Amino acid sequence: MQVYLPIAEMSVDALLLLGIGFGVGWLSGLFGVGGGFLLTPLLILIGIPAPVAVGSGANQTLGASVSGLIAQWRRGNVDVRMGSVLLVGGFIGSAAGVQLFAWLRRAGQVDLAVAIFYIVVLGTVGGLMVRESLGAILRRRRKKAARLHEHFWIHGLPFKMRFRKSRLYISVIPPLGIGFFIGVLSAVMGVGGGFMLVPAMIYLLGMPTSVVIGTSLFQVLFVTANVTFLQAVQVGSVDIVLTLLLLVGGVAGAQFGAAMGTRLRGEETRALLGALVLSVAGALLWDMLRVPAQLFVIGPVP
Amino acid sequence: MPRALMPRALLRRMRAALALALLAAPAAAQPVTAPTPALAAELSVRRIEVTTAFTGAEILVFGATERLIAPGGDEVVVLVSGPATSLVVRQKVEVLGFWINGPSARFNRIPSYWALAATRPVTEILPEAERAELRLGLDLLPLPQLGSQGPQFRAALRELKQHTGQWQDEARPIEISGGRLFHARLPLPATVATGAYRVQVLMVRDRRVTARQELTLDVVRTGTAANIADIARERPVLYALASILLAGTAGWLGSVLFRRG
Repeated sequence: MQVYLPIAEMSVDALLLLGIGFGVGWLSGLFGVGGGFLLTPLLILIGIPAPVAVGSGANQTLGASVSGLIAQWRRGNVDVRMGSVLLVGGFIGSAAGVQLFAWLRRAGQVDLAVAIFYIVVLGTVGGLMVRESLGAILRRRRKKAARLHEHFWIHGLPFKMRFRKSRLYISVIPPLGIGFFIGVLSAVMGVGGGFMLVPAMIYLLGMPTSVVIGTSLFQVLFVTANVTFLQAVQVGSVDIVLTLLLLVGGVAGAQFGAAMGTRLRGEETRALLGALVLSVAGALLWDMLRVPAQLFVIGPVP
Repeated sequence: MPRALMPRALLRRMRAALALALLAAPAAAQPVTAPTPALAAELSVRRIEVTTAFTGAEILVFGATERLIAPGGDEVVVLVSGPATSLVVRQKVEVLGFWINGPSARFNRIPSYWALAATRPVTEILPEAERAELRLGLDLLPLPQLGSQGPQFRAALRELKQHTGQWQDEARPIEISGGRLFHARLPLPATVATGAYRVQVLMVRDRRVTARQELTLDVVRTGTAANIADIARERPVLYALASILLAGTAGWLGSVLFRRG
């Protein structure tokens, strides 16, 4: 069943979009991340223009994170104070990111920039995840206890603040910086940033795992809302028909994924997610290295 | 919706066009000064609607000529051009093993859609000068180029636009039935631009264009797709807020529904 996307100005198979939404939703339910990092490249792969894929991807991630946030909120797993600090950084970062995106669009290098961001970010995060989770699996075999949480020099910076829910008393500079960085990525890559935020909160800020998912969803929700707003107003690239079709499939898939996720162990889940992230980065890298089928491309005047 | 009605309506219009052509011939024969209106052409639809279910359409031009359509008799040429657009053609270059967008050329005010069809190849029925004047041929289409120079950008533009079906250079000949009735089917791809389309129907006799008729076709967005695109363009703030709210509501609603199921 073909459906015409009014902003992308093209028709695509609605069932294909529902299927992509379902698949990405299933994985995001399984791993507890938004899945934007898979969605945007997939949309570009089926021929959606990169700006529309990024803008609508952010909008879809917003919808997908709502249900997760409600569930976490009910269990009291959201550190609103930490979330707000991250969010201040996130808002500034996403505003800067949208400007960067608009500039890249004028320079005609959006496709390259999006691809490079994906390869670098996914490659790094995937590599770290696989290494960490394999290490954890090995440690479990050797029955050695891991340290509860570590303190780095960055936690000793000025402007200290108490985060009760996270049981932390640290400088606000690291969470602000992390929030800013995730905000930029969110705008350029059309992702929520959960897949980076979760490890950053655990390993860099030393937050307890119980509040990490809820707090990251809190930040993701507001940052993607900001990106949706800015992309729609400045670039005009948010396609609501595309978003809603992806969401219908995604929400259904997420429930199945979450049910299956409870049966997997933490380290194994992280190793699988890491492998998945790495393979997306590998596929994108291969796409840039191989000789293109068409040596010329046409596009609209920016 | 108009497709289901097409055969009968088409038949009626074709009959009318034929009658017109037959009537026109003797009536115009008496006054010596007026040239014979020897060509009658019409479009099956004057308006193509782009809805949320749009998957492309077809422009059907039909009509009749005074004399038989055959070598030595009349020939018909149909040229359709869509609203003007501007495009950028980028060349991919290899930098340190990576393929990235390199030099680019900009083409201003070129037709977003362009299709040519004829009863016989245009090069056989019209002399070069006449073809160039009427721009009958993709190679004769003026493509003013800004930015990087070089013929490869123009060639790539022609090739890519033909690949997507937005430019068609005599891809299919005009079909003839009963010696004098002709019809040309020109496909419009799903990625077609909206606006006014100009359809020129030319009649060629003795290697000269002896009659011509100009028709217009409107491609318009209607229904939900049009509303969404209009709101997004004219009220971006409202559209942005609505997108955020809709996505949030859909996410929440979906999780409620599927959790119960």
